[in-house]
Amino acid sequence: MKIDHTVPMEYSTDENKMKILGFWIFLGAEIALFSTLFAVYFTLQSNTNVGPAAEDLFHLSPVMIETILLLSSSFTIGLGVHAMRLGLKKPMMTFFGITLALGAAFLGVEVYEFVTYVGEGATIQTSGFLSALFTLLGTHGLHVTFGLLWGGAILLQIKKRGFTPETANKSFIFSLYWHFLDVVWIFIFSFVYLKGLM
Amino acid sequence: MKQLFPPQHVMGFLFSLLLSLVALVAVLFDLSFAAGMTILVVTAIVQAGLQLFLFMHVKENAESKTLYMNILYALFVGLVTIFGTLFTMHWGYMVK
Repeated sequence: MKIDHTVPMEYSTDENKMKILGFWIFLGAEIALFSTLFAVYFTLQSNTNVGPAAEDLFHLSPVMIETILLLSSSFTIGLGVHAMRLGLKKPMMTFFGITLALGAAFLGVEVYEFVTYVGEGATIQTSGFLSALFTLLGTHGLHVTFGLLWGGAILLQIKKRGFTPETANKSFIFSLYWHFLDVVWIFIFSFVYLKGLM
Repeated sequence: MKQLFPPQHVMGFLFSLLLSLVALVAVLFDLSFAAGMTILVVTAIVQAGLQLFLFMHVKENAESKTLYMNILYALFVGLVTIFGTLFTMHWGYMVK
């Protein structure tokens, strides 16, 4: 296997380059997936039936907490990749660990929010608006949950094997995934929550 | 310790927090729908661009042209899906 030392390790072999490009194409498909869910939400958002409307249901503070948690986790994983490029294993693992902890905290707040909604009688079956809302938020939350498992597995591999072209590549691709989830959240924050409260 | 926190990333992070606070203006003040939506659209796009260029390192990729084409194509598909749906389900459909 030819290793190119002029580029960061995650790009250093042809296979690594292909994997990063392939992951970007996957992210393109994810954009299409979330677009369909946004389209459903925008279509159904005023079909509230007997349930609450967006402005009755949403509260600003949990949403701000979620946003700050996810933005911070995006920052720390960026620092993790930076540390990886400096070849610093321990700081990289610390930053990835903080990222996953922030992601778990985000999920905690989201679950708390869902429980609050259901407690107020706003379940996925109450109205078209709520079905679309829970589907959109749930798909994003599921991606974050999967990210926690994936990121945990990567941390174990880094711990065992250190930085190799393979593990560096996996870590970088995971960081792309995590930043992408942050971008999706920004759109949920803006066009679901803030627009709903406007 | 200092080398672990590149200034560009720190600035980018502070800017992203600032952008979400700016987006709050749309909710906290009594703006018209058009003005509020403009603020939301602009802050969301800047925020997404920040992630893409600063944290996802699009520019440094040797295939960056392919990446841009891929992202633009995905955005095109996404926007057609969203606005096409709104067009058929809301704007273009009137019960007389």
